[in-house]
Amino acid sequence: MKLLARFGPSASSADIDPPRSADTLATMAPPALELNQVSKYYGDFCAVQDLSLSVPHGCIYGFLGPNGAGKTTTLRMILDILRPTSGSIQVLGSPSALQVRHRVGYLPEEKGLYKKMKAWAVIAYFATLKGLSKTAARHRAHELLERYGLKDFANARTEALSKGMGQKVQVLASIAHDPELVILDEPFSGLDPVNQEVLEEIVRDLRARGRTVLFSTHVMQHAERLCDRLIIIAQGRRLFDGSVGEARRTIPHRVRIETSDDPSRLAALPSVASLHSDGADRWQIQLREGSDPHEILRACFELPIRLRSFDAAEPSLHEVFVQLVGPGAREAAFR
Amino acid sequence: MRYVWLVAWREFCENARTKGFWMGIFLFPIIIVLSGTLPVLLARQGVSTRHYVLMDLDGGFAPSIRAEMNRQRTAELDQELIAFARTAPYSEPFSYHIRKNPSGLSELDLAAWKLARGDQYLDVPGFVPPKARWLEVSLPPGITATNDVPLLETQLKPWLRGELILPPSTATPEPKLFAAVIIPRSYSLTGTNALRYWGENQADTELRDTLQRFLSESLRRREYQALGVDPAVIARVESQRAPLVDLNPRKATGTEKVDIADRLRQWAPSFFVYLLWISIFVVSQMLLNSVIEEKSNRIIEVLLSSVTPGELMLGKLAGVALTGGVMLGTWISTLIALVAIQVGLVASRISSGALSASSPMATLPSDVLSLFQSTGLLPGFLAYFILGYILYATLFLTIGSLCNTLKDAQNLMGPMMLVLMVPLFLLPFIPRDPNGPIATFLSWIPLYTPFVMMNRITASPPLFDVIGTGLLLVVFDLAVLWACGRIFRTAILRTGQPPRIIELFRWMQGRGN
Repeated sequence: MKLLARFGPSASSADIDPPRSADTLATMAPPALELNQVSKYYGDFCAVQDLSLSVPHGCIYGFLGPNGAGKTTTLRMILDILRPTSGSIQVLGSPSALQVRHRVGYLPEEKGLYKKMKAWAVIAYFATLKGLSKTAARHRAHELLERYGLKDFANARTEALSKGMGQKVQVLASIAHDPELVILDEPFSGLDPVNQEVLEEIVRDLRARGRTVLFSTHVMQHAERLCDRLIIIAQGRRLFDGSVGEARRTIPHRVRIETSDDPSRLAALPSVASLHSDGADRWQIQLREGSDPHEILRACFELPIRLRSFDAAEPSLHEVFVQLVGPGAREAAFR
Repeated sequence: MRYVWLVAWREFCENARTKGFWMGIFLFPIIIVLSGTLPVLLARQGVSTRHYVLMDLDGGFAPSIRAEMNRQRTAELDQELIAFARTAPYSEPFSYHIRKNPSGLSELDLAAWKLARGDQYLDVPGFVPPKARWLEVSLPPGITATNDVPLLETQLKPWLRGELILPPSTATPEPKLFAAVIIPRSYSLTGTNALRYWGENQADTELRDTLQRFLSESLRRREYQALGVDPAVIARVESQRAPLVDLNPRKATGTEKVDIADRLRQWAPSFFVYLLWISIFVVSQMLLNSVIEEKSNRIIEVLLSSVTPGELMLGKLAGVALTGGVMLGTWISTLIALVAIQVGLVASRISSGALSASSPMATLPSDVLSLFQSTGLLPGFLAYFILGYILYATLFLTIGSLCNTLKDAQNLMGPMMLVLMVPLFLLPFIPRDPNGPIATFLSWIPLYTPFVMMNRITASPPLFDVIGTGLLLVVFDLAVLWACGRIFRTAILRTGQPPRIIELFRWMQGRGN
């Protein structure tokens, strides 16, 4: 009944719920999602091993890992599509996502729609399966399609839509019932850059309205831009869990320079852990923990080493990811 | 249940929007009507005339053969004219005769008509005489009658093979010589010379059989004559048949005579078995396609985040059952409505004196209607449709869940189709011995129970069989639902090759996901 009222004909997205800050909610409420020592075995093969994570309310939580890391299996277990071999899962305080299905939205990795159904009808159908009445679902479907620029295609059969449009319809179908927890499995794959931005907006909009978003990806730029917190897994095991800043700090700070001089004398500095060539005239200097990149710049002027460029930016999430999962993922990819 | 209903309703709406659904609703009755009328229509108008030559080397048989062929042709035309008079009772020139005899044109009326009109008796407005099936032609050009049989046959062969075409006639522009018949010299029952029938088409044996039958009779008659027996006496004795009346001990005293309604009661279940088979097959195919669509389009995962596999499975079963129910309901209602309309038409024709109340045509529609009302045909059909549908649809649904493409499904459907074909093969045999050992045995095999029991339904099968097989079928349905539900839960998310049998057993034990 709460949902019906929320999506009644006069309701709009703006008056659904006032925005809430993630920090406030995190301290106030139990986590939106909690996994405790969850494992999944297929015969002898271990897809996920002893995975624990906690997703606070109102945040965007990234679920990162290379191909075959166990992301989709974990998401399926969260949604109660698959049963874990061991461990426990709490979704919005319930042991099964199906018990709170009307509060959870899901966009799977492999996307598809009923080809002969109209765009609005698909969204409305999935919304009714999530608890909305038929009238409210139809109203909500048209409202979403209008808001996200698909009004003219509302009555088009989904087989007539472009891939990007079809994917947008799916995203809208997953949030049509205004879920508290939205799980998106590789939501950006197959979208062009413009539609990727639209989707990022949708995700930010959800957070602004106090919803919790868990999304998996292996495109680090999206995670970097969107995530409040993230987890990195590989071969079914957790490698990292924390904020993006904390992730960056897991690998030593480094400086990149470009020079035609010999920079080997920099290796003798106490703040330098190592120095190696990054290509013609390009060098990468790993700093010891707590070191200041300015010391390297100062040393270059004093020695002197003539610089064409100097880059002391923090490591990207991409670098963190490659550093953490690189060797194992490469092995798994070619196995 | 709300989720089951939501899935079911979407399934129904999607199927009801397809052209196949509406074609199924309207085409099936049309096909049934056409299958009854088209062969008759084709037999009357669509058959081409076959041309043959007849060479009688002694000349003793040809005149009587020609007379016999003419007699048969005249009898055929007379029957057609009588049938025409029945369908157009008020058209001139029959109205006078029909007024005298409402049940149709009698043989006597026809004889009077022939007498009055002579050779022109077929010139009746609206009457199109059927084409002659057989037409004797003279020897093709260039071939002369000779006693040299090998030479004659050598000359005829190119004509019989169609390499040479007969001179065109008004009836047939390019006639082909269909057969050549050579009656040898000294042709007799005990002689060594056989009738030589030449023809490329060995499947159509009508002419050959007619000639052989007629010649056998002629030769026998000659033998009788040689023995001094009067052929007229022989003909009279041979034309007599031992009198027989069909009686059924189950009928009330005084009405034991088997009539057309009894025959209907015996054979009507076969029609319903056929309907049952068609509906279960068509509807289960819909289900198979629907699951494969959801699986191949990757919709299944979203669905499973909203409904349990059990709810999804039951919803799909219910939705497609609803589709099938509407289709079947329309077919059966149309049938009943047509019969009811026919009852009304017949009643009005009887009251106007156009039809005799005792004629079979007058009682047939009401017999069919009372068959629907008084026997357990319709309730039985409904019960066996539901139970049979649950069984086969669940199996089809599971096959769909195991496959990613229709091609995969077709491979798995092979054995299933063989199982489903058995009731069709048995269709003609069960009514002949509905409570015999074969029918009883097959009734107890749950896969065949709906079809076989439906076929036995008007033959008063033992109550033990009805209740026992029904209970067994219900238990079997529940077992199939349970086992297939477990397989479905695992298979629906699986991609790649269909699983091995051993894996299916593991999934049944809940060791899938």
